[in-house]
Amino acid sequence: MHRTIARIRSVIPALVATALIVASPASAEAQGNAPWDRVDPAQELLDGATPRAESIQIDLPSVTQDGSSVPLSIEVDHPMRSDDYIEALYVFATRNPSPEVVEYHFTPLAGKARISTRVRLNESQTVFALARTSRGAWLAGTREIRVTVSGCIAQGNAEKGPDFMQTRVRAASRARPGEPLDVRTLINHPMETGLREDSNGNAIPERIVHSFRAEINGETVLTARFHRAVSANPYLLFYIAPGQSGPLHLTWEEDTGETATATAEIPAA
Amino acid sequence: MRRILLIGGAVIAVASLFGTLGAGGSAPEDATGDAEAERFAERIRGIAMSCAACHGTEARAETAIPRLAGQPEAVVRAQLLAFKADQMPGATVMPRLARGYTNEELAGLARYFSQLDPQFEPEADTR
Amino acid sequence: MTRMPMNRRQALKRMGTVGAGSLLAGAGVPLFAGSRTDRVVVVGGGFGGATAAKYLKRLAPGLNVTLVEPAKRYYTCPFTNLYLGGMREFESLGHDYRELSDRYDVRVLHAFAQDVDVEGRRLQLENGSTLRWDRLILSPGIDFRWGDLEGYDKRAPEQAPHAWKAGPQTKLLRKQLVAMEDGGTFILVAPDNPFRCPPGPYERVSMIANYFKKNKPRSKILLLDAKDTFSKQGLFEEGWRTHYGDMIEWVGRSADGRVVRVDPELLEVETEFGTVHKASVLNVVPPQKAGAIAHRAGVADDSGWVPIDPHTFRARRAEGVYVLGDATQAAPMPKSGFVANTQAKVAARAVIADLAGEPAPEPSWANTCYSVIAPEWGITVANVYEVHEGTLREVPGSGGVSPLDADAAFRSREAAYAEAWYAAITQDIWGTRPA
Ligand SMILES: Cc1cc2nc3c(=O)[nH]c(=O)nc-3n(C[C@H](O)[C@H](O)[C@H](O)COP(=O)(O)OP(=O)(O)OC[C@H]3O[C@@H](n4cnc5c(N)ncnc54)[C@H](O)[C@@H]3O)c2cc1C
Repeated sequence: MHRTIARIRSVIPALVATALIVASPASAEAQGNAPWDRVDPAQELLDGATPRAESIQIDLPSVTQDGSSVPLSIEVDHPMRSDDYIEALYVFATRNPSPEVVEYHFTPLAGKARISTRVRLNESQTVFALARTSRGAWLAGTREIRVTVSGCIAQGNAEKGPDFMQTRVRAASRARPGEPLDVRTLINHPMETGLREDSNGNAIPERIVHSFRAEINGETVLTARFHRAVSANPYLLFYIAPGQSGPLHLTWEEDTGETATATAEIPAA
Repeated sequence: MRRILLIGGAVIAVASLFGTLGAGGSAPEDATGDAEAERFAERIRGIAMSCAACHGTEARAETAIPRLAGQPEAVVRAQLLAFKADQMPGATVMPRLARGYTNEELAGLARYFSQLDPQFEPEADTR
Repeated sequence: MTRMPMNRRQALKRMGTVGAGSLLAGAGVPLFAGSRTDRVVVVGGGFGGATAAKYLKRLAPGLNVTLVEPAKRYYTCPFTNLYLGGMREFESLGHDYRELSDRYDVRVLHAFAQDVDVEGRRLQLENGSTLRWDRLILSPGIDFRWGDLEGYDKRAPEQAPHAWKAGPQTKLLRKQLVAMEDGGTFILVAPDNPFRCPPGPYERVSMIANYFKKNKPRSKILLLDAKDTFSKQGLFEEGWRTHYGDMIEWVGRSADGRVVRVDPELLEVETEFGTVHKASVLNVVPPQKAGAIAHRAGVADDSGWVPIDPHTFRARRAEGVYVLGDATQAAPMPKSGFVANTQAKVAARAVIADLAGEPAPEPSWANTCYSVIAPEWGITVANVYEVHEGTLREVPGSGGVSPLDADAAFRSREAAYAEAWYAAITQDIWGTRPA
């Protein structure tokens, strides 16, 4: 808890910095004013390294009227060879109550470092991603988003329903030879942030699905760590390298320790 | 049909609670002179134009939604302020809209509407 | 008033502008027609464009205003759902341009605009002619992103109508509903945000349920949605339960409601996680973008919509070009006819000020979206907007939706006001006299 508060504080000066970065990204970075310079958990990860602001494409709408579920896609333009691949991808939102959004750990079996998901963004801010290659190099990308509150677009809070922890998975049925295959997954879960009150004014405790693992033939393709900024009913689209076929096992784990699974058959190309 | 006018009597009573009936309906007189008054008048015209979407051009349409053109300034002002204060029983969208404007603006609108010709197509409009 | 600089006075006089600050402007003060003719060309005679043309001439009768709109009669999308529900005649939704041309002296050209030369200040029409302009206003509405939804191409609406632009598509959908056997399934596919008329798909299924309840009571309605929440959701769900029991089933994105493939021949749709649904009548509301002419003019960005300066609705990417209505990126304003009407008035005043070399007057916008769930059962969302720190926002404390659990008399009043709103706004735009 203390840790979180400290982080929020440390983010505030970053906001000022962010404004500068928008104006002139190149010089700002040179001066150490990039958004990752001011976000503690990003600093911990980087541990003194300076990322190269390249190769990461973040897709977010420039404006959204529903900050509770913003579609986010990230692609790192980098090989996924066994000797050089993207092994981790971290996403941060500079102005959220806590900056960590989600992180992914890939193996070369993922075929490409590209994901799509849905995230919560409290207000207009800078979203950034850091990627680490298996050789230890850091890459970075940023994107601005404007979040408006609109009475015309309902902002939903998912409640725990009868479909709680129900999972879905679908792998593309027609694999194009030589191309990674896309897999879509979803688990029904309200992803309680711990920041919300019930109708009687009592705080609803944080309760989220915090991890996800995808394995093919017993080998890991991808693992993910979800923070509370992942939208209710976590959705994840990822890839599997060409040439892989067989049963794909997915496991989600809640912070209570409860797990849910799903299986899909990955067709041979 | 004329729901607003039906409750008009009640409204005047409500408005006198606010002590607004006697007050002038335009920009504060001591505002910083002509430029300020002009800007205020422009603002009122701008707001009145958005009212036309439900009340017709220059608020002259008469449907289940009342015509405002030519209505007594004091009555309309009292009604608008009562909407804003959520003191109009059974009101639908008007309280939600009235809360988007200052009391001065609502009073300015009442005055503006009161001075409009209620005729649907006045000669001056036909060019 | 005497502080007005002379050049402004002269400029405004040229345009025959109603004296600034004259509250009496509309109340019988004679207006004179100016001699000098600044040319304003307006593309699109819908909610935004027709309003802009009329208000330009109301405020500055001396301006030379041309409205370019292919249709001689414009059919409104608002209330097409009531037509589908059997509550309204189609012809009652049509409006013409006589008031604009005869009463306001707007030059109405029934033509399609093909291209814009922003530098040369010209508009090219499909019929080969060219119009010169000093200021251009675009209110072209939406176009569809054909191909974004697999299988829903330009020919698909012949089998699976969108009915998201009023006209033959609306009639086709009605015809299919009338021809459908009792016990059939109507499927509506709703897109992700942003799209034209956020409550529209939900009003539509309500009205179709109204038709089914009276004529085909064993039929079912399935609404497959790319979103997990929607406009006025609580009020719609309450209304559906009250009037239609379990006839309407809404499937949100996280319950696998997002459709990723349409087969218009078989009337089948496939969802993201592979469920296939078969319809008797299939209505697909496809993903959208600003009308083509906005893209030709180079004013839209990668989102497919047009970023605007919120004070004036001038396109950020071009000098002298203003954009209104559904084509704009004006969040948090919805893409509604009501908002387009108020945006048009803001832009008309800004254009006049701009031509006079003056700063634009302070803008003001409002919106009320009425939805009719059943006869005598209406609901609303209303808002007032302002510019705050350079961006649009809802005025704090204002706005909101109708209360949940309101009584039938309240809902009936909002339904009556919906009809009254339609009469008033079509009078304000096209001069159609309220019946
Ligand atoms: C089913 C449904 C129900 C709705 N209900 C409501 C409601 O109850 N209330 C509400 O406020 N809104 C409602 N709307 C939304 C409303 O219809 C739109 O927001 C509104 O029409 C937007 O106005 P516009 O001027 O941007 O576009 P439009 O009204 O679509 O006008 C665009 C015009 O431009 C013309 N045009 C396009 N390109 C060119 C070109 N290149 N050259 C010349 N002309 C061109 C077109 O022919 C058209 O006439 C509804 C929409 C739908 C689909």
